[in-house]
Amino acid sequence: MNALARHRKLTAIWSSEPGWKGWFSTVNHSDVGRMFIVTAAFHFLVGGILAMLIRAQLATPHSAFAGPEIYSQLFTMHGTIMMFLFAIPMIEGLAIYLLPKMLGTRDLAYPRLTAYGYWCYFFGGAMLLISLLFGIAPDSGWFMYPPLTGRIHSPGINTDFWLIGITFVEISAICAAVEFTVSILKYRAPGMTLAKMPVFAWYMLVVSLMILTGFPPLILGSILLELERAFGMPFFQVELGGDSLLWQHLFWLFGHPEVYIIFLPAAGMVSTILPVMSSTTLLGYRWVVAAAVALAILSFGLWVHHMFTTGIPHMGLAFFSAASTLVAVPTAVQVFAWIGTMWKGSPTLRLPMLHILGFFVTFVIGGLTGVMVAVVPFDWQVHDTAFVTAHLHYVLFGGFVFPVLAGIYYWLPLVTGNRRFFRLGEMAFALIFLGFHVTFLAMHWVGLMGQRRRISTYLPEDGWTVINLISSVGGFVMAFGLTLVLIGILLNLAVRHRARRNPWRSGTLEWAIPRPSAAYNFASLPQVNSREPLWDNPVLPAELARGDGYLGDAATGRRESLMVDIATGKPEQLVIYPANTRLPVILAAVTGVFFVSLLVKIYVITPFAIAAVAALGWRWVWQLGSRQDLGDQPIGHGVLIPPIAEVSRPPGWWGSVFLLVANATLFGSLLFGYAFLWTIAPGWPPPAFMEPSLPTMLAAAGGVMLAAGGTAIAVRKNQNGSNPAVAISAALTGALGLVVAFAMMLWNAPPAAEHAYNATIVVLGSYGLFHATLTSLMVLFLLARQRAGYISQRRRGELSIVMVWAIYLFVVTGLIILAVYLPGLVG
Amino acid sequence: MKDVLRILISPVVWLASFSAVYALHGFVCELDPGNSEIGISWIRIVLVAAFLFAAALQIVLLTLMYSPRFGSAPGFARSVSRASGWVGLVATVWTLFPTLAISTCAG
Repeated sequence: MNALARHRKLTAIWSSEPGWKGWFSTVNHSDVGRMFIVTAAFHFLVGGILAMLIRAQLATPHSAFAGPEIYSQLFTMHGTIMMFLFAIPMIEGLAIYLLPKMLGTRDLAYPRLTAYGYWCYFFGGAMLLISLLFGIAPDSGWFMYPPLTGRIHSPGINTDFWLIGITFVEISAICAAVEFTVSILKYRAPGMTLAKMPVFAWYMLVVSLMILTGFPPLILGSILLELERAFGMPFFQVELGGDSLLWQHLFWLFGHPEVYIIFLPAAGMVSTILPVMSSTTLLGYRWVVAAAVALAILSFGLWVHHMFTTGIPHMGLAFFSAASTLVAVPTAVQVFAWIGTMWKGSPTLRLPMLHILGFFVTFVIGGLTGVMVAVVPFDWQVHDTAFVTAHLHYVLFGGFVFPVLAGIYYWLPLVTGNRRFFRLGEMAFALIFLGFHVTFLAMHWVGLMGQRRRISTYLPEDGWTVINLISSVGGFVMAFGLTLVLIGILLNLAVRHRARRNPWRSGTLEWAIPRPSAAYNFASLPQVNSREPLWDNPVLPAELARGDGYLGDAATGRRESLMVDIATGKPEQLVIYPANTRLPVILAAVTGVFFVSLLVKIYVITPFAIAAVAALGWRWVWQLGSRQDLGDQPIGHGVLIPPIAEVSRPPGWWGSVFLLVANATLFGSLLFGYAFLWTIAPGWPPPAFMEPSLPTMLAAAGGVMLAAGGTAIAVRKNQNGSNPAVAISAALTGALGLVVAFAMMLWNAPPAAEHAYNATIVVLGSYGLFHATLTSLMVLFLLARQRAGYISQRRRGELSIVMVWAIYLFVVTGLIILAVYLPGLVG
Repeated sequence: MKDVLRILISPVVWLASFSAVYALHGFVCELDPGNSEIGISWIRIVLVAAFLFAAALQIVLLTLMYSPRFGSAPGFARSVSRASGWVGLVATVWTLFPTLAISTCAG
C-alpha cells in the first residue's frame, strides 16, 4: 500500500461524518479540540464585551450607563465566563487538539468522553449565557460568597444558575483531566519515556492532576450551597450550626490552584515555543519539570491567603503568608530557565515570540504584586480594592492570554495548513500590549487610592475620575487589538497561502503529520529515541507516511493505537477505539435535563433524568469489548501485544483510578467541612447526635464485605478459569444490601433543615447511597456481560474495573459509618 | 508509575502535613489546654512537635530518594524526584517555621 492509498484508507476509518451532522457524532480529538477552542473563543468574546461595558460604566463618575443590579450581573458574569467558560475550556481545547499529536499517537484515551465533556461544556455554558440574555444572571461576584448568596439575600434564580451551571460545566473539566492523565501516562509513541516526553505534556499531566484534586471542593461547595437554597439545609447559616467561612475555604481550596491550573499550561506553551523561536533546546528541562510539579503542589497550600481579613489567628496567617512567598521560587526557576534558553540560543523576533515577551513583562509584574499581597499587612490595606483586580489581571492575562496568543500563532499552520498572509498580528500585539498596561497599571493606581472592587459608580470628589477614564481608554485599545487577532485568524483560514511542513523547524512530533492535520494524525506510529525526534531524523514524516512505523497496516479497518508502559514507553496493549456516535451529545443533553430540573425545581423530572443517564451509561459501556478472544495482535516490527479487553488493567481501569482520585477529594472535602463546622462554627455540638442503629450498621458491614469480597472472589475465579457468576451474584446481593443500609440511615436521619449537623449526616448518607447504587449497577452489568459472553479468562479487564469501585465503596462505607454513628456512640 | 509517585510524594506529603498542622492549630486553639509545667503553652508544644515530625518525615523521604534501593534508576526520574524531595523539605521548614515564632491563637 503506497502512502496515498494508506492516507485515503485511514481517513475513511478515522474521519467524522461529512457536513454539520458530523459535529454531533464526531469523537475525533482534532474535531472536538477545534470545537472547544471555537466555543471558548466565543465565550471570550462575550466576556470581553462585558468587560467593555464595565469600563464604559466606570469611565466617568455618576455614570448612569448601567444600574447597580445590571452592573452586578456584568462583573459577575465577566469573571465567571473568563474563568470557567473561557480559560479552562481553551486549555482543554488546545490540549485535546495537540496532545495526541505531540505524544505521537492517534487519539486520546477516551474519545467518546472527550465529546461528552465538550457537550456538557456547551450546554452548561448555554445555560449561563441564557441567564445573561434574560437579565437573571448571577450577580454576587464570581466567588459567590454566602450569606450574600443564601436564600435570604439572593432569593431569585440568579445564584442557582451559577451553582448548577458551573457544576455542569465542571463535569467537562473532570472528564478532560481524567482523559489527559491517562493519555499522557499510557498513550504515547513507543520509546517515549518520561524523560523524552514533550515538556508541554509534563505541564498538562501536572495540571490534570491539579484539576482532579482542585475542582472537587468547589463542586462540593456548589452542591452544599444549592442544597441550602433549595431545601434549607443550613451549611452556611450561623444561627443553625453552619458557617459562611466554610464556603470560603471550599471555594479557595479550588480557587487558588485554579490560577495555576490556568497558568501552567500557558507556561508549558512558553517552554515549548520559546526554544524553537531561539533555535535551541529548553535549558534545564529537568528543573523545569521539577518546578512545575513544585508549583502545582505548593499552590494547594495558599488558599487562606484570600481570607487574610476574616479574623484568622496570627499563626494561621503566617503559615499562608510563608507559603505564598515560597511559590515565587519555582515560578522564578521557570523564568530563569526561559531567560537562559534565550541566552544560549539565537532568538528571532517572530510573532509568537512577541507575545512571549509580552508574557514575560506582564507576568513578572503580576508575580511581584502577588508577593506584595502575600504580605499580610499590605493585603489588609488593599483587600477588595481595584489593586487586587489589577494584580489578578496581570497574572491571568499576562500568564495566560499572551502565551495562548503565542500558541495560536505558532500552531495555526498546523490547524489551517496556511501561513499568514496579512501582517495584522504585529499591530494587534502592539495594541493589546499597550492597551493592557494602560488599563491595569491605572487600575493598580486607583486601587491604592482606595477604589473598591465591584462598585458601580463613584463621586467626582473621590479623585479617581481621570485614572478611570485612562483605564477605560486602555481597555478599548486592547479590545481593538484582540479584534485584529480575530480578523487575522479568519483571514488565515480564508486565504489559501500554503504553509510548508514544519515552518518553525521544530523538533516535536506534531510537525511530523500532514498539514492541515489528518484525522488519524500518524499513518504509522513513530519509534521515539529523543525529545526532538524531528531534529534527529528529518525524513521521519515521509517514513511514517510510508507506513514504516507501528500500526502502519490499515487493513483491519479499525481505529487502532497503542498503550505503552509508563516509564519505558514499551508497547503494552493494542487499543481499539469506538467509532463515531451520537451517544455523547445525547448523554450530555440528558445530563442537562437533570441539571435544568434542579434549576427550575421541577423535581418530578429528576429521577427520570437520572434513570435515563444510567440507561445511556449502560449502553455506553456495553458497546465496548468483544465476545471472542482475539489473542495477541501484530503491531509491526514483529511485535505482538494483547488488545485492551484482554489485560488486567485496561483503559477503563486507569480512568476509574483517576476518577476516584477526584471522587475521594470530594469526599475528603465533605469530611473536612464536617470537621470544620464541628471545630469552628458556633452552635456546636448540635442539640442531639444521631442514635447508632445496630441493624443499619450490621446491614452496612455485611453488605460491603459481601460486595467487595464477592468481586474479589469473582476476579480470582475468572483468573483460574472457573465460572465467576456465583461470586458476582453474591457481590450484587451485598451491594444491594448496602443500598438498603444507606436508605435506612437516611430514613432515620434527623430533619436536615434544623441544624448543619443533621444536614451533613444526610449528605454523607446520600453519598453512600449513591455509591452503593452505582456499584450495584456495575456488578449487575458484570453479571449481564458474563452471561452475554463478554468475559472470559483472557477478557478479564471489566472485572478488575468493578473491583476498584468495590474497594472504594468498602473504604467510604467504613468512614461514613464512623462519621455518622461515632459521635452518638461516644457522646 | 513508581517514578511518577517518587516525583510527587515529597511535595504531596508537605501538603498533607501543612494542612494537618493548620487543622491541628484550629483544633488545639479551640481546646485551649493551658500552659505546661515548664511555662510554655501546650498549644505551642503540640504545634512544634507536629512541625518537627513533618520535617523528620521529609528528611526520611529525601533519604529514600537518595538510597539505591528505593530511589529511581539513574537519569531523569532520579534527578527530578530528588529535586522534588528538596522542595518538600524546604517547604516544610519554611511554611511551618511560624510554629516556633508567632503568637499561637491571638487574632
